[in-house]
Amino acid sequence: MPKEDSTIFSSYQRDPSLFDEIYDKKGQVKEVYKTLFQLYGGHSIPDYMTLNEKARSSFFNQGITFQVYDDKQMQEKIFPFDLFPRIIDGKEWEIIEKGAIQRSRALNLFLWDIYHEKKILKQGVVPLELISSSENYLHQMMDVDPPGGIYNHISGTDIIKHNDGKYYVLEDNIRCPSGVSYVICNRTALKRALFGVFNHYETHTVTNYAENLLDLLESVKPHGADVPNTVVITPGMYNSAFYEHSYLAKTMGVELVEGRDLFVENDFVYMRTIKGPEKVDIIYRRIDDQFLDPLEFRADSSLGVPGLFSAYKKGNVTLANAPGTGVADDKAVYTYMPEIIKYYLDETPILNNVHTYHCSRPKELAYVLDHIHELVIKPVDEAGGYGISIGNRLTKKEIATVKKQIQEHPRKYVAQPIMSLSVHPTYIDETNSFEQRHVDLRTFTILGKDKDFVLKGGLTRVALKKGNLIVNSSQGGGSKDTWVLK
Amino acid sequence: MSLEYNIVYKAENVYDNPVKEARWQFLIIPEENYNQKLEAITFKNSMEFPYEFSTNAYGFKTIRILAKAPFEAISFEASFKLLKETSNPFDFILPINQEDEYSKYQQLQFKVDHEPFLRKTPLTTLLEHHINFFEYQQDQFVFENLQALNKWVYEKIFYTPGATDVETTLDEMLEHRQGVCQDFAHLFCAISRKYGIPCRYVSGYLHQGNGYFGDSQMHAWTEAYIEDVGWVGFDPTNNLIANENHIKVAHGKDYSDCSPLKGILYSKGSNTTNHSVQVHGQQQQ
Repeated sequence: MPKEDSTIFSSYQRDPSLFDEIYDKKGQVKEVYKTLFQLYGGHSIPDYMTLNEKARSSFFNQGITFQVYDDKQMQEKIFPFDLFPRIIDGKEWEIIEKGAIQRSRALNLFLWDIYHEKKILKQGVVPLELISSSENYLHQMMDVDPPGGIYNHISGTDIIKHNDGKYYVLEDNIRCPSGVSYVICNRTALKRALFGVFNHYETHTVTNYAENLLDLLESVKPHGADVPNTVVITPGMYNSAFYEHSYLAKTMGVELVEGRDLFVENDFVYMRTIKGPEKVDIIYRRIDDQFLDPLEFRADSSLGVPGLFSAYKKGNVTLANAPGTGVADDKAVYTYMPEIIKYYLDETPILNNVHTYHCSRPKELAYVLDHIHELVIKPVDEAGGYGISIGNRLTKKEIATVKKQIQEHPRKYVAQPIMSLSVHPTYIDETNSFEQRHVDLRTFTILGKDKDFVLKGGLTRVALKKGNLIVNSSQGGGSKDTWVLK
Repeated sequence: MSLEYNIVYKAENVYDNPVKEARWQFLIIPEENYNQKLEAITFKNSMEFPYEFSTNAYGFKTIRILAKAPFEAISFEASFKLLKETSNPFDFILPINQEDEYSKYQQLQFKVDHEPFLRKTPLTTLLEHHINFFEYQQDQFVFENLQALNKWVYEKIFYTPGATDVETTLDEMLEHRQGVCQDFAHLFCAISRKYGIPCRYVSGYLHQGNGYFGDSQMHAWTEAYIEDVGWVGFDPTNNLIANENHIKVAHGKDYSDCSPLKGILYSKGSNTTNHSVQVHGQQQQ
């Protein structure tokens, strides 16, 4: 075997304060990474550059692009992809999988409760103000029974590994979590570039996502639909996740539609086709609550379908995820997850929560204001990594600005200790070498009637800027193929 | 004793450019409840498009029309025949102790049960200094406080048709103190909710035979929740407890839950809409 110093790993520098995914406590390459380390170590830098180029062109050829909001020039970008995969062994994965299902089930019971009996609020376990101040708590959903009793059919759980070696959940995304198409495309790209490495590992497939999604969606079909007709609804081609919407429709073998392709008559939903109207039973919707139905929500938008909500309320169509689900992915609700899991399942959380300070509570607010330099400040209702301040990166002036913002709207902010995301060797174009970069993991969980599914894999996102902790694609992050071993 | 009403609602829409596709939803049918009985409904539109009945998210009956041929103008006419029982709005017993009564409103269980109608919405939010103009008297019953609030709102705003539109905020309206029935109702809701008394916005028809304020359009008032009594209607535009002249159609958190006509058009250019309402009442034996 070639020694590592003659290869692309020769200049790999390890910061001892960071948790490196491929090394164990003694500083040895972990058992699961050994083969891969040797295989990659056999390549020279020019070899690797060629392979990297090959993988990149695979993305362009597949048309996998996204758009970033607020860009002066709206342009399509590819999501930077890294050839060195992340490996999670079977035992470790089992914990993640059980933990993700536990959270999804608990959130589903929480949603049922706050839209029906509201016991958790009446007993004061979760404060009423938390829910009533959320714009995503839809009164239209009161006492509505979603088909099969499921609200959060699809969840994306963001998990990190801290430098104590344990997994922590950062957030539960249960509105329209995206990214699953990248998981599958990352696998395809890696296979095209380096097929041989897969011969050395027994890795779970990720291409079974679509069939499981369709299967679980059909398990919550509306009453009376024997052979349900499923569609995916998209806000359109200008949406940043349009590629994913079309990808999911294609791989499930169902129609991709926009609002105007559907209409409602006598509280049933139909799709316009060249053969005439066709009844629709299940809608995987990738448009937000407020745009679903202009007759019931925002009237100034034509993205949705007029009358859709009344069809839903009558039980004639399944919407996934259910309207009003977003109230439970508010970052302030996240902080009550241990209580929510205990309350509905009488279990202790399998995955850790990051300790959270609520700026709405005077004592905790005082602590936050005194310790901003060692905390991450997050707005409770922004997605995509916008509006986050990391205390130890702020100048004095910035600290003062953040303090002022918090004092003006304490309810809008929560704070957490700065978590140290684990790092993983990542190929860096500028230096043509591997360097440590922070990573997280988004897992994808699907709930159906009496069944569930977690995709064995997930989206490992990489913060490509050195030292950066924010991994969202909209903030310049990349991703890696993620292997779960059998 | 009861009153028989004949109500006619008309709307006329004219468009700059031909419309190929449109959908309308009307929330104009009187509610059926303990003292309102609907005897007949007729509905017509000038294009003879088919219509259907549905319900909105709060369970109120709607009429929907799907346009299936191009047009540049369309008119709608609905008429309702309704029996309304007269009742004495003061026909209930006041609780024994004012403080005990108010303390019920402070309990968590009560707040959770009535959360939808205790919530601030964009149309029922007031700046702190505007709220404080009205002071809740703890030594008086909730009902008495609501009567005082009704009078206070009535005196605060000068009824001025056209002074505001559906997007005017309460704080903007209070700058000039001019408004229409929606503003009176929103202001009443905002203050009632601020003091923890559940309050809902009501849309309906007003029989103006007795010279009440309101114009020839739909009227708006409120219903506040009184423990052990239920929802009691207050009409701050006229400083009245809602009576046999108030014919309820729907309620919601604010106007946006109750707007009588919502239309979705797939067309360019602007359009104008005219509504009119006629209410005729006749005493029955």
